[in-house]
Amino acid sequence: MTEVAAGRPDVGTLVAPRPLRRRAAEVAGILALFALLGYAWHDTGASVLELVHGFGNTERLIRRAMPPNGSVLRDSIRGSILTFNTALLGTAAALVLSLLLTPFAARNITPHRFAYEASRFVIGVLRAVPEFVFALIFLVAVGITPYSIVLAIGAHTIGVLGKLFAEAVEDMDMGPVDALRAAGAGRMQVFLHAVVPGIAATLMALTLYRLDTNVRGALYLGAFGGGGLGFMLFNSMQLFQYQQATTELAVLLVLLLVVERVSLVVRQRIL
Amino acid sequence: MKGIDLDVWPGELTVVLGANGSGKSTLLRCAVRLLEPDSGSVVLCGSELVGARGRELRESRRKAAMVFQQVLLVRRRSAIENVAYGALGELPLHRSFSRRVFPTELAERAHASLGRVGLAHAAWKRADTLSGGQAQRVAIARALCQQAQIVLADEPVASLDPRAAEEVLVLLGEISRVEGLAVLVVLHQPDLAFKYADRIVGMVSGNVVFDAPPNAVDRERVDLLYGEGA
Repeated sequence: MTEVAAGRPDVGTLVAPRPLRRRAAEVAGILALFALLGYAWHDTGASVLELVHGFGNTERLIRRAMPPNGSVLRDSIRGSILTFNTALLGTAAALVLSLLLTPFAARNITPHRFAYEASRFVIGVLRAVPEFVFALIFLVAVGITPYSIVLAIGAHTIGVLGKLFAEAVEDMDMGPVDALRAAGAGRMQVFLHAVVPGIAATLMALTLYRLDTNVRGALYLGAFGGGGLGFMLFNSMQLFQYQQATTELAVLLVLLLVVERVSLVVRQRIL
Repeated sequence: MKGIDLDVWPGELTVVLGANGSGKSTLLRCAVRLLEPDSGSVVLCGSELVGARGRELRESRRKAAMVFQQVLLVRRRSAIENVAYGALGELPLHRSFSRRVFPTELAERAHASLGRVGLAHAAWKRADTLSGGQAQRVAIARALCQQAQIVLADEPVASLDPRAAEEVLVLLGEISRVEGLAVLVVLHQPDLAFKYADRIVGMVSGNVVFDAPPNAVDRERVDLLYGEGA
């Protein structure tokens, strides 16, 4: 407490003087974090030894997976296209629906407080429920088809894009909005000519980024039976067809790299 | 801000001077009700703005054009579109969905307004590629295209170099004299005010302390506004 009370600052340090209680609380917080990490380590059965030991198994697996089995190449490519289409359709549907929610869910342009709260609630729920859970629901509802994966990805993505879009509008420069309002433009006119041009590129970039993420999502949801490359890969591994799995992995890698690259290049061009 | 009683007249360039926080910007923003005055009245060309709502408010706002300190153009649109936006308020919704359905008459008026500020050649340039001075002139063209009867400019030259600043003020002066508009400009540069104003208004902490033509304003009183020698 003495250094806090001292009138002249201690010139030998850049750390602002803090009361003892604050420092005690910080130390306790750090100790608690380490305790939690220790518990997580124990709970998951993590072990350095297991990891080292596992390398040997992996090496045997890789040897059995070579050379790749070319006979599944056509099917793999067909599967990767299906996986991509699943993600594309889900993302496109989510884009349209989240765009409809955005004018209500952005605090600075929402017409009414109730509309804001209601749309934010819908977005919050859709975002909180994982794609995995939506997939389980839609598998029951529409059967085990890629379409159920489209719906699952779409539902979750509405929540994600809705939140990102609303935040983009809230962070937007309100200057042009003020300028058009001052000139006597109506609410819809202001939205079309001041809000939309200000955020269109950002929305496009966010959607492309999400498409990239959703291709990965479609892949692992496909393993449930939704079809596509994820399903094929999962089956090959289950049936110990490691040489098929290698081909499928190679196609998968190409798909992911192409999607990521294209989305990155397009984003850089429009931003 | 209190006790402000300010009338501006057609064909007159009025400059408001005052230190930061003296209420100049608040005055302008209240005048088009981007800010809500606590009490009092704002009369624009015969119609009362305080208490007006919806359509009535939008119609009244159209009579006054704002030119802002930071040039508030829609950055990703062309200069000419930004000029046309001044007239959005007079279009019905179905004619204003996209620039493709704007009436031809409006396009012609927008081009004429842009020509009036000497930027006809820059019509298709995107707003964010214009220089500061050009952008502010586009904002003035937008005000012209709005066919307002009064132009309110909030420190329109604050971020411009001296030459661009003079150009903008010359232009505002011309607009008031030639087009017969009432122009109210908030400035921080007493020298520019003495050079271009028809009338100078001094404000201190929300009050008008003087209101006279430049030749009747004592230079020392202006310096006092900014606390020099006080």
